[in-house]
Amino acid sequence: MPELAVDYRIGWPLALSARLTIRGLTALVGPSGAGKTTLLRALCGLVPASGQPFAGLAPERRRVGFLPQHYALFPHLSALDNVAYPLRGADRRERAQALLERVRMGPFGARPPQTLSGGQCQRVALARALAREPDLLLLDEPASALEPALRDALFDELAELIHELGLPALVATHDPHLAQQCDWMAVLDRGRVVQQQTPAQVFSQPRTLPLARLLGFRNLFGGSLEARAGEFVLSTGAGMLRVVPDSRHWRPGPVQWGIRSDEIQVLPESFPAHRVPADNVLAVRVRQLRHQGLTLRAQVTGDMAFELLLPRHVQDGLGLAVGQRVRIHLPPAYLRLFPQESDA
Amino acid sequence: MMRRRMWIQRGSTAVGLTWLAFLLLPLLSLAASTSWRSFALAAGDVSALETSVIYTAFAMLAVVAFGTPLAFALARRRLRAQRLVEALLMIPLLTPPLALGILLTALYGPYGWLGGWLNQWGVSLTNTGPAFVLAQVYASAPYYVVGARAAFEAVPTDLEQIARTLGDSPGRVFRRVTLPLSLLGLGAALSIAWVRALGEFGVVLIMAYFPQGIPVKLWVNLQDYGLSSVYPLLWVFFLVGLPLPLLLGLLARQRTARRPLAPTAAF
Repeated sequence: MPELAVDYRIGWPLALSARLTIRGLTALVGPSGAGKTTLLRALCGLVPASGQPFAGLAPERRRVGFLPQHYALFPHLSALDNVAYPLRGADRRERAQALLERVRMGPFGARPPQTLSGGQCQRVALARALAREPDLLLLDEPASALEPALRDALFDELAELIHELGLPALVATHDPHLAQQCDWMAVLDRGRVVQQQTPAQVFSQPRTLPLARLLGFRNLFGGSLEARAGEFVLSTGAGMLRVVPDSRHWRPGPVQWGIRSDEIQVLPESFPAHRVPADNVLAVRVRQLRHQGLTLRAQVTGDMAFELLLPRHVQDGLGLAVGQRVRIHLPPAYLRLFPQESDA
Repeated sequence: MMRRRMWIQRGSTAVGLTWLAFLLLPLLSLAASTSWRSFALAAGDVSALETSVIYTAFAMLAVVAFGTPLAFALARRRLRAQRLVEALLMIPLLTPPLALGILLTALYGPYGWLGGWLNQWGVSLTNTGPAFVLAQVYASAPYYVVGARAAFEAVPTDLEQIARTLGDSPGRVFRRVTLPLSLLGLGAALSIAWVRALGEFGVVLIMAYFPQGIPVKLWVNLQDYGLSSVYPLLWVFFLVGLPLPLLLGLLARQRTARRPLAPTAAF
C-alpha cells in the first residue's frame, strides 16, 4: 500500500501540528473547525506551513492533486480543456481525453462543467488532478456536494479508482460513514492528530471524548476508576461496573466512560436466569421508543439513562413497549474509557 | 394574494415603461427636430471627431495599463491602507469636473511646479494632445478601476488557487483563469470609462481647450451657430460613444443568464 509520512506545522489561520502517515486511501476526520481543510490546503502550498513533504515549495511546484469541496472546475473551459489545463505539449488534448476515459467520462469531454452532475464533476476534477501526475491526492469532503443516495456508490467508485492508481490519498471528511470505507484513518482534534489506526480500530476504540461523540457514541458519562483485587471496576451512578481496560494506560481516578447504543444488550423477563451475566446488569424502564429506518432507538431510564439501538430482528423478538421494565447488560469488553477532559 | 401580486407586477411595469419613455424622450425629440435632408457637419467637426476618438483611445490605453493592476490589487490583496486608497481613488470622481480641471492646471499648467519642470524638457501640458489625454485619464480612470475591481472580485479565488496547484505561476493563472473570467466585466468597465472620457467637458475645457474634441466643439458650435446646427455633431457623438457600452452590457446580461458566475458588476 502506498505510504507517505506527513509532518506539518501551521500557525495561521489556526495553530496545527499534524504528524501522520497516509496509507492508501486515508480518511482525515475531526470535528468541524479542527483544521482538516487547512491541513489539505497547507499540503497544496495554499496555506503557509513548515514541514515535510514539499517543504517551502510554491503550490505550482508541488506534485499534489487537489480536489476541493466543490471541485473548482473552470467554468470557461469544457470538461476536456479542464483536464488538459495542467498538460503541456501538442498532444495535450489526446492525453486529457485518455484521462477522461480512465475516469469513465470519455463521452463528456465537450460538455461545459455547468451541465454535469455532482458525481460527473467530481470525476472530471479527479482526471484533472491526475493530469498533474501527482505524488499525493487530496480530497476535501468529496461526498458533501453529492446526493445522499448516490454518495456511497460514488465514493466506492472513487475509492476503487484511487486504489487502481496506487496513489496515497488523504480524504478530509466529517462523515464517519465515509471514513469507514477508507484503508486508514487519522483523527484531528484541537490542533493535533490524536489517533491514527484502521477505521475498525478507531471506531471501536476512539481515544478521546470528542472523537467518541463524532463517531456516534451516545452514552457518555463521568465516573471513577478503581482497582479491586487485580481488576478494574468503574464506580458510576448505577453502582459498580466491571471494565477491562488496557491496564498499561489506566490508573485509578476520575474518568469518562461510554458505550455505543448498539452494543447494549437487552435481557427480557423470559431470559433464562442461569444465563444472566454476573456483572454489569442494570434494571431499567423503557421511556421512549422511536423508529429510525429499520432500527429502533430506545431511551431507557433507571439509576442512569441510556440510549439503545436495536436492529429489527432483535425488536421483533423482544416486543419492547413504553413503560416496560427490562434488564440491560453492558458487556465489560464494550465499555470504553476516555481521559477526563476539561470541556467534557 | 395572487391578485395583489398581479397588481404589483402591473404597477411596476407601468412605472418602468414611464421611466424608459422619460429617458428616451430627449433622444426621440432630437430625432424629430433634426433636419435630416440638410444633415451636414460644420467646419472642423470631422477633425473634432478624429481628436476625440484618437486621444480617447490613447487615454484608454493608459487607463487599462495602470488601472488593471490597481484594480486587481484592490480586489485580491488586503492592502495596509486599503480604505485610504479606495477613498483617494474616488476623489477625481467626486470632484466637480471644472474644479478638477483647475486643480490639474494648477499642477501641470505652465505656472504649476510640475508643469514648469516639464516645460524645461519641451513637454507642455496645456492645450496639447498629451494635456487632452491627461485630462481624460483623470476623469475616467476611477470608473474603470471601480468596475474592474468588481469584475476581479467576481472571479472565485478557489479557481485561481486550484490553477496554482495545477502547476501555473501567479502570472499564468492571471492570464489563463482570472482574465478570461473577468473579461466581460473588464470590457464593461472600459466601455464606461470610454464614454466618460469621450464626453469629458469640464476638465478638458480647462486643460486643453485645443485640440478641440467633440464636447468642446459642440459647445463652440452652440455659441457660434445656435442649437439646431449642433444636431449633426450630436448624432455623431452618440454613434461613437454609445454602441460599445450598450453592446457589452447586452453581452454581459446574456452571459450572466447562461452561467451563474457574474463578472460584470459594472452593469
